[in-house]
Amino acid sequence: MSELVRRDPRKEWIARNRLHPQHLEVLAELGGGAVANEWMGPNGVMRRNPHAVGFIGPNGIRRIDRSGAQQAAQAPGRSVEAKDARRHVAIDTPAFMIAVVPDMAGGRLSSHDRDLLGLARQLADADPAQPGAVLAIVFGEHKETTFGEAGIDRLMHLEGERFSGYLPELSVATLQGVDREMAPRYWLLPDSNVGGELGRRLAARLGERPAAQVWQVEADAESATGWRCTARGAAGRNDISRTLPRIVLALAECADPVSETRHAAEPIKLSNGLPDVLGRIEDMGEVAVDPASVSLAEAEFILSAGNGVKDWDSYHYAADVLGATKGASRVAVDDGYMPRDRQVGATGTWVSARVYVAVGISGAIQHLQGIQSCDKVVAINLDEGCDMVKRADLAVIGDASAVLAALVKRVEQYRFEQQENRDAA
Amino acid sequence: MPHNAKSTASVGLNVAVLVSIGRHPLTARTRRADQDARAVEMALTLEGASVSLLHAGQQEHEHEEAIRGYLGMGIDTVSLIQQQSQADVVPALANALRTGAPQLVLTGTRAETGEASGVLPYLLAEALGWPIITGLAAVEKVEQGMATVLQALPRGKRRRLRIRLPAIATVDSSAPAARQSAFGPAKRGAFEHLDATSEIDEALAAWQVQPARKRPKRLKIVKSSSARDRFKAAAAKADGGSGQTLSDVTPEQGAEAIFKLLKEEGVLR
Amino acid sequence: MLDTLLPILLFSALALAAIGAVRRVRLWRQGRPSSVPVIKGLMQVPRRYLVDLHHVVERDKYISHTHVATAGGFVLAALLAIVVHGFGLNSTILAWVLLAATISMFIGSLLVAKRRSPPPSRLSKGPWMRLPKSLMAFSIGMFVVTLPTAGILPEGILQSGVGWIAAFVLAAIIVWGLGEMFFGMTWGGPMKHAFAGALHLAFHRRPERFSDGTGGEHRSTGLKALALDDDSAKLGVEKPADFTWNQLLGFDACVQCGRCEAMCPAFAAGQPLNPKKLIQDMVVGMAGGSDAHYYGSPYPGKPVGEHAGTPHGPIVNRAGGALVDAETLWSCTTCRACVEECPMMIEHVDAIVDMRRFLTLEHGNTPNKGAEVLDNLIATDNPGGFDPDSRLHWAADLNLPLMADKREADVLLWLGDGVFDMRNQRTLRAFISVLRAANVDFAVLGTEERDSGDVARRLGDEATFQSLAKRNIRTLSHYRFSRIVTCDPHSFHVLKNEYGELGTPEAPADYHVQHHSTYINELVVAGKLTFKAWKGGSVTYHDPCYLGRYNGEYEAPRDVLRALGIEVKEMVRSGYRSRCCGGGGGAPITDIPGKQRIPDMRMEDVRETGADLVAVGCPQCTAMLEGVVEPRADIKDIAELVADALIIKMPDEKATQSKAAPTVSRTAEEVMP
Repeated sequence: MSELVRRDPRKEWIARNRLHPQHLEVLAELGGGAVANEWMGPNGVMRRNPHAVGFIGPNGIRRIDRSGAQQAAQAPGRSVEAKDARRHVAIDTPAFMIAVVPDMAGGRLSSHDRDLLGLARQLADADPAQPGAVLAIVFGEHKETTFGEAGIDRLMHLEGERFSGYLPELSVATLQGVDREMAPRYWLLPDSNVGGELGRRLAARLGERPAAQVWQVEADAESATGWRCTARGAAGRNDISRTLPRIVLALAECADPVSETRHAAEPIKLSNGLPDVLGRIEDMGEVAVDPASVSLAEAEFILSAGNGVKDWDSYHYAADVLGATKGASRVAVDDGYMPRDRQVGATGTWVSARVYVAVGISGAIQHLQGIQSCDKVVAINLDEGCDMVKRADLAVIGDASAVLAALVKRVEQYRFEQQENRDAA
Repeated sequence: MPHNAKSTASVGLNVAVLVSIGRHPLTARTRRADQDARAVEMALTLEGASVSLLHAGQQEHEHEEAIRGYLGMGIDTVSLIQQQSQADVVPALANALRTGAPQLVLTGTRAETGEASGVLPYLLAEALGWPIITGLAAVEKVEQGMATVLQALPRGKRRRLRIRLPAIATVDSSAPAARQSAFGPAKRGAFEHLDATSEIDEALAAWQVQPARKRPKRLKIVKSSSARDRFKAAAAKADGGSGQTLSDVTPEQGAEAIFKLLKEEGVLR
Repeated sequence: MLDTLLPILLFSALALAAIGAVRRVRLWRQGRPSSVPVIKGLMQVPRRYLVDLHHVVERDKYISHTHVATAGGFVLAALLAIVVHGFGLNSTILAWVLLAATISMFIGSLLVAKRRSPPPSRLSKGPWMRLPKSLMAFSIGMFVVTLPTAGILPEGILQSGVGWIAAFVLAAIIVWGLGEMFFGMTWGGPMKHAFAGALHLAFHRRPERFSDGTGGEHRSTGLKALALDDDSAKLGVEKPADFTWNQLLGFDACVQCGRCEAMCPAFAAGQPLNPKKLIQDMVVGMAGGSDAHYYGSPYPGKPVGEHAGTPHGPIVNRAGGALVDAETLWSCTTCRACVEECPMMIEHVDAIVDMRRFLTLEHGNTPNKGAEVLDNLIATDNPGGFDPDSRLHWAADLNLPLMADKREADVLLWLGDGVFDMRNQRTLRAFISVLRAANVDFAVLGTEERDSGDVARRLGDEATFQSLAKRNIRTLSHYRFSRIVTCDPHSFHVLKNEYGELGTPEAPADYHVQHHSTYINELVVAGKLTFKAWKGGSVTYHDPCYLGRYNGEYEAPRDVLRALGIEVKEMVRSGYRSRCCGGGGGAPITDIPGKQRIPDMRMEDVRETGADLVAVGCPQCTAMLEGVVEPRADIKDIAELVADALIIKMPDEKATQSKAAPTVSRTAEEVMP
C-alpha cells in the first residue's frame, strides 16, 4: 500500500458542508466509519449532529449502538495506515556504537526493552552530524520481527545450541568480546531480573562502575560525557544525579520508545568468534511450580473466593486454568474452605494485584481495604447492590459457578487457538 | 511451599552472610535489611552449616542497633569490619572473605541505603574469582564441592542450578521471609571488631543525592498522522470513575467481558 | 482405747501435715524471689477471705452456702477437735460446739455430694469425687467420737463388747477423715486448696485487688513491667521455676472448680486453651511429672497425658511435647473472664503474658502475623505498617485542633490506631461531632501519637511496648490537658493503668483517662447534649473487656444509651460476665484455629436477645462483630448512636429558636418515659 496520503479536495469540501446531500456518506468514508457526531463549535460549545449518530444496519435501518463498541472497533484501521508513514533511517558509517542487550522476555522485545532502545536512540542521535548506531545483542532463539521499528541499526544474534538456557558466564564473556571488538560508547541494559544480572556481571568484568536503577538521562554540557543520569538509590528513597557512566542499567519508562523511524537492524557477527568459557554454573532446567502457591502479596492475578462460592471444585479448577493465585475472603477462610494464608483484607494480606477477581465476595470494608492497591477489580456476584460491585471496574451479575464455568471455557478455547497459531507459525 | 524444605546434606558447610544496615521504606528508621535478613534465614535453615555474619561499616550506635536485628535471629556474634563512612567496602570485604574462606557467601541483592546499585556481590565475585548466582531460593544439597540450588524466577517459578563452590549467592524477596528478631538474643549478642584500612570511594563526592522525586507518569502517546485522531485521543475522557456493571447477561457474555479484561491486562499466559 | 488413740492420730496427722507443708513451701520457693509483707499479709487473710474472696464465691449462691457450711464447720471442728480430743480438755460446752460444727460440716458435705451427682463438665473428677465422702468421714467420725464427751453417750461405751468393733470402725473412719483433711491438705489432695489458698491470699502479688475497709474501687488489672536493662536476666518465663514464688503458690491454690473454663471464650470456641488445665499444668510443672493425673476437661483437641514437665525444664518446646504447647498460650484473648470468675483470685492472664514474653523476647516465636505486626510497630509505630505521617489523613476535612499548635486543652483526644481503619474512622468522626456539639475544648496529638503499645505488650513484646509507652509519655509531657479521652478501651486501659509505672519524675504518667462513653455520659449529665427521640429497633450492649472487667466501667455506656431513650436488652452474659468479642490480646493476629469463632458465638448471644442493633464501645469489638456473616444485628459504636441523635444547636440564636426549640421540648417528652 502506498504511504502517501491522497486527498480529495471535493470530498473534504463536502465533509465540511453539513447541508450537502452527500455529507454523511463522505463523512463516513473519510472518518473511517467513525462519523464525527460531536465537535466543538466556534464558540466553544459542544455541537452534536443527531443525524450522524449510528450506522445503517444490514436491512437498511439506522441503528444506534451506545456501547461505543462500534466506533472503537473501527479505529485500528487508520493507525495501521499511519504506521507506514515512519521515516526509514540507515546509518552506514556510525561514529560510535551504543550497545543494548534486551531481555527478550518470551522471545520478543518487551516494553522495557523498547524504552531502553528509545534511550539508546537518544544517545546515538544526539548529534545529527555524527550519528551513532544502536547495536542490539540478542541471545538465543527469538520470535521478534520488528527490530528495525524498535530502533536497532545493527543486530548481533547469538543463537544455536550453545546459547540456550541460563548461561550467565558465557553471556558475559561474549559481551566482553563485543566490548573488545566494537568498543561501544555505552552499554545499556534493562535493570530487570535478567538484564540487571547480566549488566552487573558485565560491569564487574569490565571494571566499570555502572549506574543502576536509572530512570532519567539528560544532556548536560558540563558533565564529562555530555550526559547526566538520575538513578534511584537507597531502595528508591534517593535520587542520585551523576555523570552518565559507560554501563547503564535503566528502569522501564526511562525514555520513550522509538516510533517515528525505522532502522536497518542489519545483522552482524563477532569477527573473532565466540570465547570458550569454563562454566562453573550449570543449568539443570526449570522446576515446575504450582502457580497457586505464589504468595498473595506478590501475585499479580488473584482469583478470590468468598461466601457466594458454593461449588469449590469448580472454583479451584478455574484458578488452575486461569493460572491465577487463589485468594479468599475472611468468611471462606473461617468456614474452612481456604487456608488462612490465603485471606485477603485488612486482617489478612494486603494485595497489590494487577487484576483481582472477586467471586461471590460482597466486599466487607476490611476486605476492600486489603485490595485498595489493586489495579483492576472484577466482581462476579449475585447481588448488584453489594459494595464489591460498586468498587469493581467490571462487575458481572450472575451465578458465580456459571460465570466461572463460561470463563474457563472461553480461556480454554483461547489457549487452544493460541496453540494452533503457534503450531501454524 | 515445597521448595523451602530444609536441606540435609549441608553438614560442615561454612556459610558467611554479608549483612548491611536497612532502612524502613516509610519511616527510614534503621533496621535489619530485608533481603539480608532473608539471606541469614536461608543460612540458618541449612542444617549443620556453620554461619558467620559479616558487616563492613562505621561503628555507630544507630547502626549497631540495626545489626542487632540480625543477632536477634539467634546469632551469637557478628564480625564488624570498621570502615569510614565514605569508604568503598569491597576491598575490605574481599580480604575478610579470602581469610575466612567460607564455601558459600550469602547476601541480599541490593542494599537499602547508599548507592544500592546491587553491584557489590558481583565485584566481590570478580575479586575473589568465585562464581555468583542470583535469586537463591533454596540449597538442595552440597557434595564434592558442588552445590545444587534452586534459583527463584519471577512469578514463583524455580530453576535448578549446579554451582561450583566456593560461590556467592544473592537472595531477593522471593526467598522465604526472615524469622522474627527476638529482643533478648539481640541485646545479648556480641560484636567482633575487625580493623581494616578504608579505601575512600572518590566518585561519591561528585554525585548529587537528594530525596527521590516522584517519577512522572507516562502519558499515553498517540502518534498519528491525522490531527483528528490525535485530538480525539487527547480529548478522550479519562477512564476510571465508576466501573461497568453487567446485569442481565448470560454467563457467556459475562465471561467474555472478563476474558477481554484479562487479556487486555496481560495476565493470561 | 480411742482416748489414747485419738490424740496420737490427731498429732501424727498434724505432724505429717507440717512436714508436707514444709515440702510444699519448698516447691513454691523454687520460684523467683518476690518481696511481700509477710506478717501484714497473714494478718489480712481473714478479711481477704471473708470479704473479697467470699464476694466472688457469693456469685454462685449454692456453692457459697455449701462452702460456708463445710469450711466453717471444718475449721471450727478441727480446732475444737485438737483442743477437746488432742489435749483432752473435757469441756461439755466445747464438745457441744464441736458437735454443732461437725453437723454443719456434714450438711455441707451432703451439698457437695449433691453438686457432684452427676458432676458438671467443668468440675474435675478423680480424687475430687471422693471429697464429699472424705468430708462426711471426718464429720461423722468426729461427731460420733465427741458424743461421749458431750455426755450424750455414756463414757466408756466404746470400750465394751460390740463397742470395740464400733471403735475400730470409728478409728478407721477418723483416719480416713484426718488423712484427707490434714495430711492431704499439704501433700496434694483436693484439700490443698485450703492451705495454699490461705497463703495465696496472704501473699497475693496484687494486694491492691483486696478491699481494705476504706471503700472505693479495688481493681488491679494492669500488667507489671518487665525490667529490660539487666543484660544477663532471661526475659519472661521459660520454665515453671521462672515464675515468682507467690505466682507458683497461686497456681497451687487452684480448687479446680472450672469456673474459668466455663467463662473462657477460647475454650468455648474450641481453641486449645482451658485456663483451669493451664493452671494445673503449671502445678504439674512445679512439682515435676506428667498431666496424666488431671481429671478435668482437657485443652480442646489435645488429649491428656501427652505433656510433662519439670520445674527447671522448658514449659514450651518449639517442637511441642513439653508442659504446654505454644498455641495454648496464644489462644488467650486476655479478656480476664477467668480471673474475674476465679474464687481463688488466681492471675491467669499475668501467667500467660509472662510465658508469651519469653516466647517473643527470647525465642522470637510470635505466631502467624505476630512477628509482622511487631515489626510494624517497631518501624512505623502502628500495627498495620502504615506511614505514620498519614495518621491524620482521614480527618483532612475535619480541621482537628492539634496539640502542637494549642499546647493546652481541656480534653486530649487519643485517637488510637483506629485512624487507619475506615470503619473506625466513622466512629471517630461521630465522636468528634459530639465533642463539637458540646463545645468541648479538645485537641489531638496528630502525627505525634503512636500506638499505645497494648498489642505489643499482650503479644509479649515488652521491649516494644516500653519503647512506645516511653515515647508517648515524653510527647504527652509537653502538653497541658486535664484529661485524656479515647474511643479505644485498649488505649484507655494502657494509658490509665500501665503507663504510670513507666513515668519518670520529669514526665509523670498518671493521667486522668476516660473512655468516650464515660465522657459522653458526663456531657449528658451536664446537659450539654440534646437528643432526638430514639426511633430505631431494640438494642443490646456489648461490654468491651478492657472497659468492663479491666476498668469496671459498666454503667456509663448504659446511662448514655438510656439518655438516648434506648432500653437496653441485656444479653445473658453481660457486665462482668460479658463474653469477649475475640479481638483482644492479639488473638486475631496470632489466630489460633478453633472449632468456631468467638465473635460468631457473641453474635449468637446477641441474636438470643432479639436485638436489631448492638451498641459497642471498642474498635476491636466493632471489627470482630462486623466480621460475622449477615444476617446479623447491626453494630454501632455508642459515639455513632449519640451523633445520630444529636440536635445541633446553632450558634445563631434566632435561627434555632423558631425551629429547634419545639423539637427540643418534644424530644424531652418522648425521652422521659
